[in-house]
Parts: sequence; structure tokens; C-alpha cells
Amino acid sequence: MSGHETRSGHPLPPDTPVAHVCGDPAEAGTGVPCTRGNAPLYQLEGVVRRHGDRTVLDVPRLDIAAGGITGVVGPNGGGKSTLLRLLALLDAPCRGQLRFAGEAVGPLSSGRTADLRRSVTLLLQEPYLLRRSVYENVAFGLSVRSGRSVRFWRSGHGVRETADAVRGALELVALDPDVFLRRRWFELSGGEAQRVALAARLAFSPRVLLMDEPTASLDEDSAARIADAARAVAERGTTVIVVSHDRDWLEPLAGRILKVRRGQVEG
Amino acid sequence: MDYLIDGLATALRLLAAGDAETFSAVWITLAASGMSIAACLAIGAPLGFLIGYHDFPGRRAVRIAVDTALCFPTVVIGLLVYLLLSRQGPLGDLGLLFTIPGMSVGLTLLGIPIVMAMTALAVEQADARLRLTLLTLGANGRQVLFATLWETRYHLMLAGVAAFGRIVSEVGISMMVGGNIKWHTRTITTAIALETGKGDYALGIALGLVLLAIALLLNLVLAGLRRRAGR
Repeated sequence: MSGHETRSGHPLPPDTPVAHVCGDPAEAGTGVPCTRGNAPLYQLEGVVRRHGDRTVLDVPRLDIAAGGITGVVGPNGGGKSTLLRLLALLDAPCRGQLRFAGEAVGPLSSGRTADLRRSVTLLLQEPYLLRRSVYENVAFGLSVRSGRSVRFWRSGHGVRETADAVRGALELVALDPDVFLRRRWFELSGGEAQRVALAARLAFSPRVLLMDEPTASLDEDSAARIADAARAVAERGTTVIVVSHDRDWLEPLAGRILKVRRGQVEG
Repeated sequence: MDYLIDGLATALRLLAAGDAETFSAVWITLAASGMSIAACLAIGAPLGFLIGYHDFPGRRAVRIAVDTALCFPTVVIGLLVYLLLSRQGPLGDLGLLFTIPGMSVGLTLLGIPIVMAMTALAVEQADARLRLTLLTLGANGRQVLFATLWETRYHLMLAGVAAFGRIVSEVGISMMVGGNIKWHTRTITTAIALETGKGDYALGIALGLVLLAIALLLNLVLAGLRRRAGR
């Protein structure tokens, strides 16, 4: 296996970073180990997820390397979102083992899983914005990590860093901070809300960014901005995994495409 | 008809002149209600969150019990608290019977089910994406609780205002636990009941007008909160 292949042998583009950049702020204080060399970030072995009696996902073996952009395609009801929720550590396999950064993921309610979950984030297809200002939405992830209220952003220790991170995240999704910082959630269009939700996830520099149909209800321009932001964070070492029906949008973006159909994963 | 008009005129004069007895009842009412609504929110909101957010064995039974408590007759609560606080009762040593804090205990028992039921409903009806969003942004269990309560803040205020409306206008608990002692535990409602019995309609009408003004204010606040909660 070369340095630019996953353990399961899937090739990645030559410029795709295969290892997470250690020292990422997302890992600070979480105790999440770095993956080094070409150790996969995710390893799924014999993973089965059921809804009642119905098996919605059955993955004998899947490795996903750290870094780069991985696309996930497939028909509706094929198991894409189920896979994404497993990777986001929001659901646990009914059977089999999920390893993240070399560590077996335990029960969802455990403190260790909560720690691991802090290095992963998921952008929902229809994102929910907190009933607050754009600033408070984008700073929320930072505030839960620091334990400081973001509503007192005009003063206090660490406020400058938070403000800088918020501005940087908004600029990454091509929203002018001077225009948007003080806007309330109900003053945003659908595309702007989607980009603010993405900025809220980029502000805390996650180790893994999962996106579920991020362009489903966006115009071409907004979809291009989302793609630019995904490329930018992938270049910084974040592992990006995107579910999309829009193959024209996804294929130029993703170094690897996984096909999920009837609960089976190929690619 | 004349006695009604005379009563209203006298009532307005009492209010305009700042009649001490009238305003003593208003102050005692607001003190007892204020104390109890603070306790209702401190106890009822977290409990309401628990039964609205978590699925646990017996949750349905707890919801039914809380909904049943909404219809609890105030005189029964008054009797229960009276027995607890009376000299022979288990809490008799606290000396709370016939005091404003004692009345607040009873009024809190009246308000807690209202706050619990409305908080649980608000949390149940909150957008299903809220919890997922909080988790994917890295919130832990405690942060999910506080952020959810903040997101449903207008519904919680609605619960507080609704509970306050019920507490401020009840008579059974105030009469039994407070004892309707002039200058000490006589509230608006117990004063109205007493003065009407004595045939002194003017004071009753004056206090009734104050109660109506409070009700109007509460309803204006409720309408504003409903509008913001629905946004």
C-alpha cells in the first residue's frame, strides 16, 4: 500500500493530504489521538445498522483515510445518511466495530465518545440555526469548548481569538463579516443560512467535516462557494466527507467516491 | 344599580389616594406570587426539560400525573400545605404557617405542574434538528440542556407568565395557609372575598380592578411572547 492509498487500496489524488495535521486546535483538550502516516481515520469492520428488523447499512470493511475529500453517492434510502450519522458518532453500530483515529468507539453516552465527537462535525441537509445572531451561531462551537458565553463578546479573555475565528470562518464561506455578524437567524436567505451553518462548523477547525446534501436547495453560486470552502478546509488538513446527489458538483471536488446502494458500500 | 356605581367611584378614589389597606393587599400578593414563581421556574423548568427530552420507563405515567396536577383544586393544596406547616405537622417547627413564605410554598405547589407541563411540551415540540445541531457543534449533556432551554426561552417565559396568572388569582391556598391576616397575609383575592362578605364593595371593586390590570398586563406579555415564540 502506498502513502496515497487507503488501507483498502483506494487511490487518492497525489495532492490529497493523507494524514491529519497534528496540533490542530480541534484536538486540543479532547485527547483524540492523531493518525500518523497512512493509518485510516475511520475503520468500519462488520458494521451493521438496523431500523427495527430492516438492515439499512451492512459494511463488512471500510477504511477512510485522514485528509482529502471523500464523496458519497447513491439512491435515496440507500443508507448514505445512516453512514454519515455513524461517522459523526451520533449513532452506534448494531453490530461490528467502528474505530475512529485508531480507537474503538464505545457507547454513545460515554464521556470518551463525547470527547471524540468534538473533533467531528456534521452539516445537516437542512441546517438549524440557533435563535441568535450570526456571530453567536458561528461562535457557539468555540464557546462550548471554552465554557465561555459568546454573548459577552465585547469583553473578556479569549474574545479577540473568538472574534477572529468567527470572521475567518465567515470569510471562508464568502460571507462579509461586517455585513453578517450582527444579523439575526431570521434575516438570512436559505443559501446564507446554509453558509452560516457551515461557518459555524469551520470556526472550531474540526478534524472531520461531514456534509449531508449541502447544495440540495442552493443556487449554482452558493454551491460553488460551499465547494470552495470544502477545498480550503481540506487543504488545511480537515477530512471532508460529502453526501450529494449532484455528481457534476461532487466529482471534481472529491478525491474518492463511495457508492452506497441498498445498504452496501462500494468504492 | 346605584350601589355598583357608588362602589366603583369609591374604589377609584381608594386607588387614586393610595389607600394603605388596598396597597398592602397588592404588595402581599405580589411578594407571595413573586417568591413562588421564582421557585416554580427553578424547580419546574429542569423537571419539565427532563420529561420532555428524555425517554425513560414510566415517562408516560409521569406526564399523566403532571397533567392531572394541573387540575388540582387549590383548597386541597391549601389543606395539604396547612397540615404540613401546622404546629403538629412535620414542618411545623419552621413556623411558616400564616406567613408570606408559607403561602409561597402552597402557591409553588400550584405553579410547578404548570411550568413542568409547558416546559415539557416546549421541549417536545422544539425542532428535531436542534439536539443534532448542538451535538454536532460539540455540546455536552449539560450544554445541550442549557442551550435547549435558551432556544425555547419564549415558551419558558410563556410558562412562567401562565403560572403567575394562575398563582396571583387563586384564593384557596392564600386563605387556608395565609389565614387572611390584615397587613400580614391578606392578598387581593382573600380581601375581595372578605370585603364582599362584609358588604364593603368599594374595596372589593378596587382590588378587583388591580387584579384585572395585572391580568391585562399578563395577557399583553403573553401575546408578545407568543408572537416571538412563533417566529
